[in-house]
Amino acid sequence: MKFTTDREALLRPLQLVTGVVERRQTLPVLANLLVVAEKGVLSITGTDLEVELTVVENGVTIEQDGRATIPARKLADIWRSLPAGAEVSVHVDGDRAIVRSGRSRFSLATLPAADFPKVESGPGDIELRLSTRDLQHLLDQVSFSMAQQDVRYFLNGMLLEVTSEYTRTVATDGHRLATCTVNVGAPGVERRQAIVPRKGVLELGRLLSDGDEDVTLHVSANHIRVTRGNYTLTSKLVDGKFPDYEKVIPKDANRTIIGDRETLKQAFHRASILSNEKYRGVRLIIETDQLTIQANNPEQEEAEEVVDVSYQGERMEIGFNVSYLQDVLNVLDTDEVRISVSDANSSALIESPGKEDTMYVVMPMRL
Amino acid sequence: MHSSGWGSSERLDWASAVLDQAFEFSSASDYCIFIQHLVNSDRTVAEPWERVVAHADMDAFYASVEQLDDPKLRGRPVIVGPRSKRGVVLTASYEARPFGVGSAMPMVKALRLCPDAIVVPPRFERYTELSARIMAVFEDFSPDVEPLSLDEAFLDMTGSEHLFGPPRRMGEKIKAAIKEATGGLTASVGLSQTKYVAKVASGYQKPDGLTVVPKEDAVNWLAPQSVARLWGAGPKTQARLYALGYQTIGDIAGADLEKLQTTLGSLGNHLFELANARDPRRIEGHRVARSMGCDRTLNEDVSANEDILLYLRRSADHIARRLRRKNYLAGGVRVRLKTTEFKLLTRQCTLAEPTDVAQVLYAGAQKMLDRFDHPGPFRLVGLAAHSLEGADESRQLGLLDAGSARALEVTLDRLAERFGDNVIRRARDITQTTVVDQTPDLDFLRS
Repeated sequence: MKFTTDREALLRPLQLVTGVVERRQTLPVLANLLVVAEKGVLSITGTDLEVELTVVENGVTIEQDGRATIPARKLADIWRSLPAGAEVSVHVDGDRAIVRSGRSRFSLATLPAADFPKVESGPGDIELRLSTRDLQHLLDQVSFSMAQQDVRYFLNGMLLEVTSEYTRTVATDGHRLATCTVNVGAPGVERRQAIVPRKGVLELGRLLSDGDEDVTLHVSANHIRVTRGNYTLTSKLVDGKFPDYEKVIPKDANRTIIGDRETLKQAFHRASILSNEKYRGVRLIIETDQLTIQANNPEQEEAEEVVDVSYQGERMEIGFNVSYLQDVLNVLDTDEVRISVSDANSSALIESPGKEDTMYVVMPMRL
Repeated sequence: MHSSGWGSSERLDWASAVLDQAFEFSSASDYCIFIQHLVNSDRTVAEPWERVVAHADMDAFYASVEQLDDPKLRGRPVIVGPRSKRGVVLTASYEARPFGVGSAMPMVKALRLCPDAIVVPPRFERYTELSARIMAVFEDFSPDVEPLSLDEAFLDMTGSEHLFGPPRRMGEKIKAAIKEATGGLTASVGLSQTKYVAKVASGYQKPDGLTVVPKEDAVNWLAPQSVARLWGAGPKTQARLYALGYQTIGDIAGADLEKLQTTLGSLGNHLFELANARDPRRIEGHRVARSMGCDRTLNEDVSANEDILLYLRRSADHIARRLRRKNYLAGGVRVRLKTTEFKLLTRQCTLAEPTDVAQVLYAGAQKMLDRFDHPGPFRLVGLAAHSLEGADESRQLGLLDAGSARALEVTLDRLAERFGDNVIRRARDITQTTVVDQTPDLDFLRS
């Protein structure tokens, strides 16, 4: 195999595909990228057996067809370190891949392409077409709420729910829940749910960070395949039952506070400095048109913030992990924010007034 | 009692005597003036220590309790443990120890070493009752008591010279108070300025010992003792230390720190600090039990997962009930299996959320079973809830709590309270009666 290209043509593809490769692998070949040059097209694939990302490039001069696997991180590092605009050639000969550019030469150890595991995704039974903007919105608004290494493995991912009317994402770590909906569905689909693992969600987010092409999603029984331009991301789905998110959304949270999002965000941020570093608890005291935020830490240091809000009702106190509130205030994009609570032991609902597409539920802390 | 082989101890004894006099002064300022006078008077006197840490440890606790309650057992070798041949020794009395009998030894072996020993089954309720009295004594001496087990605790005695006298007097008073409160049990007490040295000191002259090690003597005092006395040096580490040529704590204290670190990692640093009598750890008073566990030694060995799960299920029920009773939540679960070769295998995990629900503990234990990677058979199945915290402490509430499972278990608690623990049992438990030795309440298990 031999091909020549300029550095920029493969810079971003190599970075994205290498992103999928784990730093520690169970199989040596998983540290490598599968590079295939055939029929005038170069394709590069990285995988960790759960998520696979393939890029197809046409702007490459292929002098000799072939396939091999090349150490991912080393290749990407070399590529990035070459001077801008450099012309680079890659030549695989026997078990060596020779990378040449100007007066630089690198000889990398390859492994046989036949050993490279491919994710067998099968045909999708749902096809959904979304704009980059919509999909990005669906991810950004909820992905921070995914669990991380939770024993309830089905929480370590994001629920994707597709109907003919809408597409919805939901994420929860068992303490808070986020949901976002866009009014684009897949024709003919009644209601289909799939849990995309955490890593698949994060890699998909990276893939969307540039350009504005449309995205096509195929969901099959065990996989989701996302195609965007030259890239195809395939991820296994998490086999498990996601909690019934509709049950979690409070229906009787009738004490409503409306406040300025930016003001609240800054007040929470300042109060958080003196909250307990481990538990991050803050106390909210809600009174007529006034919210007081209190924090203290084991060193007995204290913070108090008073914020004007709109609230009519009885005085009440409720505790929260301040990080959960901050996360929500960070992703909302309206000037005002509405927080609805019922009592100190029940969940709070946080929304943007007048915008129904996102909803956040946060469980309180007992302080 | 303390030997007088060390110059500084004699000095201290002398100082104790003068300080005792000092306490007869009517006010603190008089006392200070008196001290000042002593210091000026060109005689060596121990100033009050910056920190005073006492470690008190009951002597052969379970066995001593049995001897206390049954005069016929006094002066005779007593082994507390299950009568079954498959059980292990929980405690051996001092009369049995010269035969080589020690804790955790298989009963069969213990009886071979000491055929005349009288085996007494444990009575945990009685031990717990006496433990409570002992802990109450400790609390009379210090507001900061850190219990390590039923019969052992650290006491922060810093700044209490004006109440109890110098360290040696403190030790004497603690020992006397325990004897009185328990009707005759003895404890060994060590006092020093660090937790580690105090702990080694309490074990120095067991039983009924009292050892005081002032800060300036600590390094020299530790030096001739075996590396086995280092905290954190288990049998494996000991073997490595011997292989490196370190026999005594002094060898470690004088060792090349870099060499220790390269061979033992951060443990090397830890051992080096201890060997040099540096141990900044504070007494963690008001601490809750670190774990709550339940080990079951079985009549018949088990290998099949479903058989192991049966015992884990039972232990989970038992532990969860105790957690709820004592208002604790467990942050994690630990499973222990002992092979027929007495090899103890342990796996533990952290739960998504602290819990007091048996269903959740059991689910955690069940998931860990595959991680043992050992076909069995096993003679002991143990479950413990660890990382305990008070249920009243501030904590995050969960969105997806195991609400219904907990409600069921709480209902069963109420039934058990009214009608006894066995009023409702799992169907499988009725037919299975193979446990020979259950040590149900292994609180304070050190992890």
